Amino acid sequence: MRETPNFTGWRVTILHREDGNTERLTRQLRLLGLQTKLQWSTLSAAELPDLVIVDADQGWDNLLPWNGGTPNCPVVALLGSEAPGRIAWAMEQGAGSIIAKPIAASAVYPALVMAVSIHQERKAFAQRLQYLEERVRLRPLVHAAVDKLMVARAIDEDRAYAILRDCAMKRRLPMEQIAAFILGGAEPLPEAG
Amino acid sequence: MKIGVLFSTTGPYGAMGRDARDGTHFAFEELARTSDVSIEPVFFDPHADLAAYLEGARQLLRAGCRHIIGTITSAARKEVIPLVEKHDALLWYMCPYEGFEANENVIYVGGCPNQHLIPLFEHLIPKYGKRPYLVGANYVWGWEMNRLARELVTNAGGDVLGERYLPLEETAVERIIADIEQRRPTFILNNLIGPSSYAFLEGIKALADRDPGFRAQNCPVVSCDLMECELDDIAPGAAIGQLCAASYFDSIATPDNTAFKARVAARYGSSRRVSGVFASAYTAARLCADTIVAAGSDDPVATKAELHSKSWPTLFGSLVVDRETNHAALPFHLGRINADNAFDIVASRPPLAADPYLTRRNAPASPKLRVVS
Repeated sequence: MRETPNFTGWRVTILHREDGNTERLTRQLRLLGLQTKLQWSTLSAAELPDLVIVDADQGWDNLLPWNGGTPNCPVVALLGSEAPGRIAWAMEQGAGSIIAKPIAASAVYPALVMAVSIHQERKAFAQRLQYLEERVRLRPLVHAAVDKLMVARAIDEDRAYAILRDCAMKRRLPMEQIAAFILGGAEPLPEAG
Repeated sequence: MKIGVLFSTTGPYGAMGRDARDGTHFAFEELARTSDVSIEPVFFDPHADLAAYLEGARQLLRAGCRHIIGTITSAARKEVIPLVEKHDALLWYMCPYEGFEANENVIYVGGCPNQHLIPLFEHLIPKYGKRPYLVGANYVWGWEMNRLARELVTNAGGDVLGERYLPLEETAVERIIADIEQRRPTFILNNLIGPSSYAFLEGIKALADRDPGFRAQNCPVVSCDLMECELDDIAPGAAIGQLCAASYFDSIATPDNTAFKARVAARYGSSRRVSGVFASAYTAARLCADTIVAAGSDDPVATKAELHSKSWPTLFGSLVVDRETNHAALPFHLGRINADNAFDIVASRPPLAADPYLTRRNAPASPKLRVVS
């Protein structure tokens, strides 16, 4: 880790009943520079904070707007119970880390750092996956363009593929897109240079 | 009323532990002469055994101590904290440490990186360039100080030329010295502890003797935890000219410090130098006792409220402990080791409020995720 994580100015919503735990948690979050909001009611998708800390002991489905889907912000779960169902609930809500109850002040900062990091990592993975899926979906276009090149230039498959790849690199476009252009006639057939 | 004192007088940081113990004892001796409140210090020596710290804290708490002054290393402090929390007691920690902690049951009189490492680098980089070499003891102090140093250097557009660690009592520094000789940094940050640190300074001296580029004025070795009480353990003359950051040096020229040194000399003899750890332990013990006296009780909640309610006259000047972080605001001094095994002060800053989680540095206007991988 190069940069020291800094949460100054972040808005955090704590979904928990007010008690000694939330008092300790709020104190620690404030000294980490976060603006805290405590509520024990459904979090509206319209007022999303930068970070959510949720009570996984008492939390119910639909407490969070993404309800089991992909979370829109990093999530930390507060957990006193060891019941598998509660741990599963925390994970379903997208929790990237857990703070055990009763809350120790020293558990807060590490949990934030981890949840934020995991949220970013998941987001990056999801984007990468989406990109790769798109490419897999369009792969038949590449084959078709390679076939077209092989016939037109009387070259073998390896050569045709290399030409297509060079063309994509020069144009800074994915191969699938160049292939689609070629097949659609929007792009002149690259020369076998 | 009893106050626990928990320091290891043996092991790799034994010199610091002995001075810390003496500093607290000196404070309680003075208190016994000047106050009618009877405070009895109870001392426990864990002899550098991490498990013994927990046992020591348990014994002190069972003996009726609601305050413990002590621990030198972060590892020992972390070991003791859960028990202190459980008993609603208060731990008075008085060593510089790597930050990233703010416990309600701990009062931090030492100092965290925004009070030592950051002002140190703000001084060093313009003067000695931004291509340092980092060495450290192989535990959290060394790791975290060097991690932050690397961040500071990188943000300044510089380069860390090397980063090496030694086990706590290791004195075989030859390979690190050879690496430094080859890479030629512009300064060296030394986060080694005790005998490792002394061996390293001696190794650098030998290197400087054959290559003037490594003399202290050209490529200084800078420490954040080297104290007066340790300088006699380094080969004579080996560390002259090297630098050290601290909140206190024996040579601080204030009337309070002069008077304090006279009292220490009367008690321990004139040859004894007051180290930063002696001064910090003395200060922590005085603050602890003074707040107990002011609160009229050793109830930790009452003493803490008293502590936060005003500034206290101390060796470090008028001292404020922040209500939110429980950390003391501390001055910054940069000392240069002289031929008398003392520090000449070459730069100072007035007390800096502690920022243990570095939240006030580069505070982003809006949340911006930082890459944490």
